[in-house]
Amino acid sequence: MLNTVLLTLSMATPLVLAAMAGYCSERSGVINIGLEGKMLIAACVSALVSISHGPVLGVLAAILAAIIMSLVHWLATQRFGIDHVISGMSLNAISAGATNFMFTRFSDPDRSGRIGTLPPLFYQVCAIAAPLALLAYVAKTRGGLWLVAAGSDPEKARLAGLQPDRIRLFALIATGLFSGLAGAYLVADTGVFTDNMTAGRGYIALAALILGGWRVGQTALACLAFGFLSSLNLLFQGTDLVGVALPSEFWTSLPYLATVIALAGFLGKQRTPAGLGKT
Amino acid sequence: MKQVVLIIACVVAFIGMLVLGGISPIEAAQTLFTGSLGSPRAISGSLKETTPLLLAGLGVFFALRAGLFNIGIEGQFLLGGFASALVALAVPGPAGLLLAMIAGIAAGALWALPAGWIRAYRNGHEVITTIMLNSVAVALTDFLVAGPARAANQTGATTATIPTSGRLPALLNSPPWNVSSGLLLGLILCGVMAWWMKRRVAGYELQAVGANPSAAEFAGINVRKVRLNAMLISGAIGGLGGAIQTLAFEGRFYQGFSPGYGFDSLGVALLAGSNALLVVPMSLLFGVLSKGGTSLLILGVPKGLTNLVAGLVILISATIRYRRQAQDA
Repeated sequence: MLNTVLLTLSMATPLVLAAMAGYCSERSGVINIGLEGKMLIAACVSALVSISHGPVLGVLAAILAAIIMSLVHWLATQRFGIDHVISGMSLNAISAGATNFMFTRFSDPDRSGRIGTLPPLFYQVCAIAAPLALLAYVAKTRGGLWLVAAGSDPEKARLAGLQPDRIRLFALIATGLFSGLAGAYLVADTGVFTDNMTAGRGYIALAALILGGWRVGQTALACLAFGFLSSLNLLFQGTDLVGVALPSEFWTSLPYLATVIALAGFLGKQRTPAGLGKT
Repeated sequence: MKQVVLIIACVVAFIGMLVLGGISPIEAAQTLFTGSLGSPRAISGSLKETTPLLLAGLGVFFALRAGLFNIGIEGQFLLGGFASALVALAVPGPAGLLLAMIAGIAAGALWALPAGWIRAYRNGHEVITTIMLNSVAVALTDFLVAGPARAANQTGATTATIPTSGRLPALLNSPPWNVSSGLLLGLILCGVMAWWMKRRVAGYELQAVGANPSAAEFAGINVRKVRLNAMLISGAIGGLGGAIQTLAFEGRFYQGFSPGYGFDSLGVALLAGSNALLVVPMSLLFGVLSKGGTSLLILGVPKGLTNLVAGLVILISATIRYRRQAQDA
């Protein structure tokens, strides 16, 4: 029982951080398919820098790398006017390619053992603090109101004297911060970097955001639910529940299938921010 | 101007990555060329890589014209390849060949159905659903081919090999040249699609939905139905691509059947823009890159670099397309 709870929490940590990253971006009106890529880049950079310069710089470099990716997305969508989904997808591809390239070229193949990182507890505290901080920020501050205004109706926000572009710039920096932490956690949790280690978590986080109706509390709960589904994979793999042992592929697919069902709207109605993807 | 700067920045970044990785860019370019176009054998190899990219690219292109981004082509390709291998093994001879192609088409369409339905009737974004379905497709085919569908005498996760009589014949087979009839099927499909989009009412309606769904709705087009059908046909073409891959080249289905054709075909379709006929040269470009990229592996260039370039190409082409639209407006 305790085992399940702990596994769920550890599985939900990167999802919560990534979903909060998505929250900042999508609430400000920028569709962010690219969470996956930002996490992957962050994981790779944190692994490489942690090996060479220690764990603290590792995390900082991971955050910086994710912020840079975020800024490219801002530039592409807000300055060049590229479709948000296409920009996010190509950034994911670039990340998948770049991390494979960087890690095979720059890591020492003879090195073995865990990569020294900050303890996973640090990230788990962040994953609890982030939703609380965002909740307070959006509900209590002027900046939070601006964020939501830019995402709900950029045109009216502009008429009210706000600059949606600039609000989105800061929102995407926050996105970089959270997705950087999410990526670095994956390395802290497993102690290694492997190709494509995010394994769709960025997309699952987006699904949690959609499922949570773009609200902080509900999104975090959805992340916990997805974390629970992922923990089932480790708990029940190989044990026979229904007479025969279900294959491990079934348990791996469970969160993905749940995401599809969530998107079909069977788990509550959708409340997309009205200005999502608009300029 | 902005776009020119971006292209130069991308090229500089690419060369920078090569130099940082300790590889001479000139040597890399030479290897890429000789490995993909340097000999009849290399050209045949490039054409072999082009075939799945052409078919999957046409699938993505079709959905894209209806305003849908079918990232799920990878999963549809896998399911199509798997289903056709099963049918071709069960039914021998030319009849089996035909049935296997139909099975591939049906499997691809079936795998696209949830994403299409959710997009059309539940308003859930097709990009996320198709990505999820890709992961499920990989898990499902991995499981089936390692367990129930595995060949009895094989240790690896693969089906049995389809006998030659049940495969697509070669169009030209005089070594070192070898071109499969699968490529011809792709070219015919491309021509038919170009004609259909230009000359048929349904093709016009499809593109109207892609260009402006609310205007299309106002003009009396059933937008939801068009979207669902577009996704189904896109998946069917992806499934056909998988079937041709099985029946013309691989002769079997195994774990790791697609080394990312689905992803590269997104680049193919995006670069083709609004003209179906352009899918041919674009798939050729990616086919050459893919074949040449394999030769680059010998130089120690990781496979990820091809992915990286594909991503950059998509980003650049999207920027240029936007610019063209801005000039039109």
